[in-house]
Parts: sequence; C-alpha cells; structure tokens
Amino acid sequence: MFEHLINGFAVALMPYNLMIALAGCLVGTLIGVLPGLGPTATLAMLIPLVFSMPPATALILLTSVYYGSMYGGSTTSILVNIPGESASVITTIDGHKMAMQGRAGPALAIAAIGSFIAGTFAVAMLTLVGKPIATYSLYFGPAEFFSLMLFGLCTVASLTGGNVMKSIVSTCFGLMIATVGIDLVSGAARFTFGNPFLQDGVDFVVIAIGMFALTEVVVTAREVRSGVRAEIVEPKGLFVKWSEFVYSLPSIGRGTVFGFLVGMLPGAGATLSTFIAYNLEKRLCKNPERLGTGDIRGVACPEAANNAASGASLVPLLTLGLPGGGATAVMLGALMMLDITPGPLMFEKHGAMLWALIASMYVGNALLLVLNWPLVNIFARVMRVPAKYLMPIVLVISTIGVWSLSYSAVDLVLTGAAGLLGFYMRINKYPVEPLILGLILGGKMEQAYRQALIISNGSNSIFVEKPISLVLLGLALLFLFLPMILKKSQQFNAARETAQAS
Amino acid sequence: MDILKQFVTRTRIEGVVILSVALAYLWEAHNVPEFYQIPGVPGPTTFPYLLGLVFAACGAWLLISPKDLWRMWSKPAEAVAAPAPAGPGLGSRIASHWHLIAMWAVVLAYLWFMPDIGFPVATFLLLFTFFYLLGETRWHIVLALSLTVTVVVYVSFKMGLNVRLPLGVLEFLVK
Repeated sequence: MFEHLINGFAVALMPYNLMIALAGCLVGTLIGVLPGLGPTATLAMLIPLVFSMPPATALILLTSVYYGSMYGGSTTSILVNIPGESASVITTIDGHKMAMQGRAGPALAIAAIGSFIAGTFAVAMLTLVGKPIATYSLYFGPAEFFSLMLFGLCTVASLTGGNVMKSIVSTCFGLMIATVGIDLVSGAARFTFGNPFLQDGVDFVVIAIGMFALTEVVVTAREVRSGVRAEIVEPKGLFVKWSEFVYSLPSIGRGTVFGFLVGMLPGAGATLSTFIAYNLEKRLCKNPERLGTGDIRGVACPEAANNAASGASLVPLLTLGLPGGGATAVMLGALMMLDITPGPLMFEKHGAMLWALIASMYVGNALLLVLNWPLVNIFARVMRVPAKYLMPIVLVISTIGVWSLSYSAVDLVLTGAAGLLGFYMRINKYPVEPLILGLILGGKMEQAYRQALIISNGSNSIFVEKPISLVLLGLALLFLFLPMILKKSQQFNAARETAQAS
Repeated sequence: MDILKQFVTRTRIEGVVILSVALAYLWEAHNVPEFYQIPGVPGPTTFPYLLGLVFAACGAWLLISPKDLWRMWSKPAEAVAAPAPAGPGLGSRIASHWHLIAMWAVVLAYLWFMPDIGFPVATFLLLFTFFYLLGETRWHIVLALSLTVTVVVYVSFKMGLNVRLPLGVLEFLVK
C-alpha cells in the first residue's frame, strides 16, 4: 500500500498537478468565503473545464475545490458572523463571539489547525479503509447495488429538507428526468417528444447549473437589494497560544471522529456532522456552560467535524459509487463523464489515479493551511466584493459552461427551465440535492434494476431474498421514517433546515 | 365557498401538478412501441412505470394531505373562524415582485436568444440590465463594467479555453 501511496505522491507532486491543486484550493477558499456561492454550483460550473484534463488532474481539481470551500466557510463565520457555507453555521456561535472579544486571531488559527488535523485524518482513513470496502463490495450483484443506491437516495431524502414527502418527490423527479433519452438496452426513444436533441438524455450539468448556479444568482441578487453591508472584524494576531491549543485538542479529536463517522453516511454530509459534533461536545466536554460564550473549543470541534466529514464523504463515493450530497453527486457525474465509474473496481482499474488523488489530498490539506493562515485577512476582504458585481458574472460563466457541453440551444432552454423550477422548489422548501442525486444515479439504478430482474426471471422478490440487499432495504426504510421518530429533537430539525438552505 | 377555499392549499395544487406530470409520464411510457419489449425480460418501460407510480402516489398524497384533512375535520369551527387573509390582487403582487420577475425575464431571454444574437451582444445587454437591476445606477460604471467583462470573458474563453462562442449579429465583422 505504501508503495502505491508513494507513487501517488509522485503524480500529485508533479508541477502541473501541484499548480492545479493550488488553484483548486484558492478557488475553493474563495467560494467558501463568498456567501451564496456554494461548492455544488461551483463544481458544476467547473465540469466543462475538466474535460480537457487528464482524469487524475481533473479529480484533484474537483476535490481540492470541495475541501477548500470547507476551509473558507469558517473565515466569514468568525469575522463577519455570516457563514460562507451551511457547514460553518455552528462556527458562528462561538467563533464570532471570540472575534467580538478581540480573539479573532486564535479563532481563525484553531479553525485552520483543526481543519488540517481533521482533513489529514480523513485522508488517512480513506487510505486505510478505501480498498477493503471496495473489495468487500465486489460481493455486490445488481440486486445489492440497486438496494444500495435506493438506500443512498433514501438517506439523502430523509436528511435534507424539512419534509420527507417533498424530498421523495424531488428524488423521484430526478430519476424520471434520468430516463429521458434513448434506452441503451433496447434502443427505444423514451420521453423525447420527437425532439432529436433529447435523445442523448438530459445532461446533469445542465440541470445542476440551472438549479444551483442560476437560482443562486437570483436569490443572492434579491438579497443584495435588501441587504446590509457586513461589518468585518479585523483580526489582530494570527497565533494561538499553546495552552489554548492543548485545551482544544480533545475537541478537535472528538469533532474529527464524529465528523468522519457521520460523514460516511450518504446524505448526512458536513452540515449535519457539525450539528451532531457540537451537540455531543456539549455533553462530553468539561465546563460545557462555557460553550456558546466564545469558547475556542466551540470553533475547533465543528470545524474539525466538517472537514472530516467532507473527506469521509469521498469514501462511499469512491468505493461504492454512492455520492452523499449535492457536491459529491456532481463529482460522481464528472467522473462518469471522464469514463471512470467509481465503485468496487475503482482500485483495480484506476488505482494509480486514485492513489494520486489521495496523495494530492495530503498535499492539499497542507497547502490550505499554508494558504489560509497568513492570507486570512485578504480572503476576508474578498467578501467585500459586492455581490451586485459578482452575480451577473457568475451567470455569464455558468451559461458558457452549459453552452460548451454540446453547443446546443436546447440545453440553454433546459437550464432556464431548471432554474425556474429550482427557484420555485427553493422557495417552497423542496430540496434540490435529492433531484440532482436522482438524476445522476438514475441510469445506474435502472441498469441494476433490470439486470437483477433478468437474473431472477422477472421476480421482484430477488431484492428481499439476498441478505445484503434485504438489510440495505431495511435501513433505507428506517431512514425514511427517521424524521418522524426524531421529530422532537430540535437539534435535528435545525440541522435539516440548514442543510436544505444551502 | 369557504370550505373550498380552505381545501385549495398550495400543497394540494402542487399535488395536482405532480399527479398530472406522473400520469403524462406513465402515458408516454405506455406509448413506447411494443416491438421494443421482449417478453419475460424487463424492457425499457419497466423502470419508468415504477417511477411513475411512486410519483403519482406522492402527488395523490399531497393532493389529499390527510393530516390537513384531519385537522379540518376535527376542528372545523376554528378553521372557519380563521380564514386565510385574502391575498393581494394579482396586479399588486406583480408590482411588489416586479424586480424578481424582471430578473428572471432577463435571464430566460438571455438563455433563449444568446445563440441567435451572439454571445458578445447578448452578454453585454444582459450584464448592462443586470448591473442596473442590482442597484448600480451610475450608467457610466454600468457601461464600462459590462463592456470590460464581456470582452474579458469572450477573449479568455475563446482564446484560452477554445470554447466556440457564437458571434451572431456581429458575424459581419469577421467576414
């Protein structure tokens, strides 16, 4: 394994890849700092760009943007009291209080250190458990994979948004969009309404850009007109005292472990992990009454959790092909477009590339620490770039992204329609992530379903006869009813609301 | 009339829409020609039928909204006593949201007309109106910004990343 890892480092440290990782971390931090522009929209906009790159480089770019945004989100939480991402909402509680008390420096420092430790831990775990999980999933047949994907969709549906029924509607609609186009097995044109442009199906990038980028532009633009200018607290020093570091070390450790465990679960994602970690921290640490009053542990714990979780969400993505949320779903789509199917055979077929990715994540975490710590003031100022100048430019670049996919006017119209629908969904609390996830998994899911039925001679009972599949289906059902069981937990509800708002 | 008003909630309207989409989807699936189906093997419509049924069930559930019905049934007096405040007329609602509608209109028009008018002109117009709509009223700044962004984006994507962007009405320039 170590020789694989060393080979991976050789690829990741090539100047070109190093540059890409640096650029990705920068872009990620920037979008993390900018409220409104999330990682999912940015990744969708980047996809047309990565086509021209070798797969390893493309993956390095996408992942570095993804975890870079987790770093950046905390900066504005602490300095401005506006979380850049939903995953750093919790950080505002203690982080901004610290900044108001003139301790912005230690808060930023511990956020960076905590993120670094957690990020590195997550990569180390990915290094260790990735291959065994992938090997285990070789036992999976079509029936098991169908149930696994159903389980993934159910967890996402149950954990994002306030209303499970609305999430199911969203998921199902995504799956339905995925069936548009020519059926690969029989050649039948389905739901194309005679339009030749629809025969290739609906590209998920088209929908993702419409639903994330376009709606984000309009939503932010609407806030701009009624918004107030944020006050930025200037941090004085950028160092944290050794005693404070030792004081928050256990919190970082707990945040990392919880974050990683929660993050592995599809659908839970980074946001939920911060809520759970903070909540558990309150019960487990000494002097819990200090949390919420500007305690450094209140920054360390959720920051460690969200970085561990974003690393952990790559485990099911790379080993099982199961994305956990909007951002990883877009990454899965990108991988499939590059003709790489994540899943059990990933380590066999694309091992070199995967190890390069893992190595680059070690490098990226170090880069982020080096980038973010001294430059934090500059990043905080980026927030001052008024959204009124930024949003129209985002709009133009997303349009180019859609256009460059296949130079088709139909795609642009579909993007517009997706944008309108996404806007309606957002306002009326239909979560958008499940739709994108359904759209991306739809093809694979149908394939698995049909293969399973062919094996069983058309009998649906195959899904309950195979033990692994049965367990997964049971878990899927359990997750669908989880919100009803946990209805009373305010923490859980708050977390879900936040996860949806992102 | 009051009962009817209570019954027609946004959720129920969404339910109707979802149900009709599901039925249209199932109808389209039904119309996939027979000869693609091989007996005994799941064909191109097996999975869509499943999805359509689930979607229809969701729509029906939202349409009926059992919880809501139960509340109406168990506490009719209270429900009648507190009718939803009459929404403002359509005209005034458009007036208060004109800004949002204008933004969507501009975005959709841009997506629709861009391939025909060409990227440079369409983008310039879009940026001009959008900067203005977002509250930048100094026209010389709007003009300068829109022009610069259009040129920078066009040149960098065309030259740097080799994206084919339509020139549209400006095509006479290259001839």
